[in-house]
Amino acid sequence: MKKSKRTARLSPPRTALLKTSLPKKLASDPAKVRIHQLSTGVRGLDDILGGGIPEFSLNVLAGPPGCGKTTLVHQIAFANATPKKPALYFTVLGEPILKMMRYQQQFSFFDEAKVGKAVRFINLSDVALEKDLAAVLEEIIAHVTAANAGVVVLDSFRTLARKAISDVGEVEVQSFLHRLAQFLTSCEATTFLVGEYVEDEVRDNSLFTMVDGILWLSQVTERNSVVRKLQIMKLRGQATVPGLHTVRITHDGLQVFSRTLGLMGDKPKPAHRRRLSTGIPDLDKMLGGGILEGDSVLVAGPSGTGKSALATQFIAEGLRRGEKGIMAIFEERPQGYAQRADSFGLDLKSAENKGTLELLYMRPLDLSVDETMQAILDAIKRVGAKRLVIDSLVGFEMALAPGFRTDFRESLYRMIGALTGAGITILSTVEVEDNFTSLQFSHYAISFLTDDIIRLRYVEIDGQLRKTMVVIKMRGGNHSKDIREYVITAEGVVVIHPRRTDYAELSTGIPHRTGPRKAQENEAAPEPKASK
Amino acid sequence: MRGIAERLIDYETPKKTSTATATTANFQVTERLRPHLATLMGNGGFRALLARALALASAEVSWLRAVQVNADGTLEGLAAPHARLTPAEFREGRVVLLAQLLGLLVAFIGPGLTSRLVGEIWPQLAADNVDFGKGDKK
Repeated sequence: MKKSKRTARLSPPRTALLKTSLPKKLASDPAKVRIHQLSTGVRGLDDILGGGIPEFSLNVLAGPPGCGKTTLVHQIAFANATPKKPALYFTVLGEPILKMMRYQQQFSFFDEAKVGKAVRFINLSDVALEKDLAAVLEEIIAHVTAANAGVVVLDSFRTLARKAISDVGEVEVQSFLHRLAQFLTSCEATTFLVGEYVEDEVRDNSLFTMVDGILWLSQVTERNSVVRKLQIMKLRGQATVPGLHTVRITHDGLQVFSRTLGLMGDKPKPAHRRRLSTGIPDLDKMLGGGILEGDSVLVAGPSGTGKSALATQFIAEGLRRGEKGIMAIFEERPQGYAQRADSFGLDLKSAENKGTLELLYMRPLDLSVDETMQAILDAIKRVGAKRLVIDSLVGFEMALAPGFRTDFRESLYRMIGALTGAGITILSTVEVEDNFTSLQFSHYAISFLTDDIIRLRYVEIDGQLRKTMVVIKMRGGNHSKDIREYVITAEGVVVIHPRRTDYAELSTGIPHRTGPRKAQENEAAPEPKASK
Repeated sequence: MRGIAERLIDYETPKKTSTATATTANFQVTERLRPHLATLMGNGGFRALLARALALASAEVSWLRAVQVNADGTLEGLAAPHARLTPAEFREGRVVLLAQLLGLLVAFIGPGLTSRLVGEIWPQLAADNVDFGKGDKK
């Protein structure tokens, strides 16, 4: 008692000691446990998970057959397995291991050198069939302990659980799961239970309450198109990106495209921006000196008005000035596109060969906007591009799986925001119909997400269908309000006339003459090809 | 595949064997493969694979038709042929059966993984740089 009194008098209280010896913030906020995260080895997935899979967590990887569960878990296993902390892949009444190896080795992540040492496959089907859950658990404990496993996979857990429920009842299965979770956590193993669950089971199956993470894979069918999706239904201890994310399985395994790709890291545009030439001097003047760097420009017009020609000139001008470019083409094949540019004296092929230009041809009919955005972002990074052409938005929409078309406007908003945020100047084309009563910009009401709009249209003048252009909008500054006539020559789009003051209602497409008609015997057609 | 099978049988056959030990050593290679493959495939899986190899081998070596695969993946019915046949004839059956078994493995999981799997049991084979990609299923 005496000692304790003395101690109490001489020693400062413990909290006081902490306050004097530690920085202020730490003293009031004791150190939290740091949860390390395992990289999944799946491109795009770590970001969606909020950094990766929490170490020592127990996770369910669920979904119907064919949505990529086995491939995903193999990717995670191969990405994290080492001979000292191997991945143990237990199969229980699921896909035979020989067949699994046969198919999984086709993926680039499957490193044969890891099989047997860093990644070990163990079949527990015999134990599960001939014995009980206790024996299965005993086998798992023996293997995990002997191997000092870092990653444990149980595939298919649902089949095992269903068999056990029919044999011994649900309580026994709960008990098995509880003991398994306890053992694996104390062994410092990160575990994945793979199972072909359906969404209705989430409500009634206490497995989903017990586990730390639920990764749900699915296949969404819309009309003739099927798209794989991933949802992080649950992940304890960290913020994930909510919603359904598109999954693509390629030679490299799964790749996940976050539905919020591009929303993060959006930088504000700098106060002083350069003006970029379009390659058409008169159009540059109409734009007040050119397109502001980092702007999104929409070129709208009906078929044949030279949208692609204008877009090609924009890219070619950038190449001339040392600004690398990307052309995302959705309607034509790159060869035809390059050939047409050739006819304007614009040599895209050489630029491609030099690596200063990349023509991205994307037309698979089941794309998602996120995949397209990722492909464009990758190409921009590869090439170091400053200018981007999307030709056209109508073709882009057609290339999307039907399910994505309904969200096209929102997706486009995200995509353009992400790309201009990265300092890229975008020129998109869109086909609109001339109805001769109104001046449409696009079908999508997307003008809110473009900084500048250039409208091309046909106008009937003196018995000819001629072409005019006008700058409708320019967010970053003043622009010409003139409606200018242009032609498409061997040099591409060429603006030919100053604004017409002798016509009214040019924007309707059917103007009427207000001034006197110039005396002329037979007005020469402005386009060379028309005069032949 | 036949060359690899012969080499594996040589690894497992003592230089000087009595008739008694020769019988037990006859199918030592498949016996050594059994636990490793059963870990991967389960006993049932191994049994199915060995039975298939035996069926294929029996078409080439007629005395193998009398041999059967037990539920645990062991072979039965070897004693009588062993007593009746010359050592060369008996060895031929062993070689053909093992070559078929390895051939099936190569067909399913490829030469790379088969080589790795077999190399874990017989490291000297891996050291000899034996190529499972060469040669046919036999």
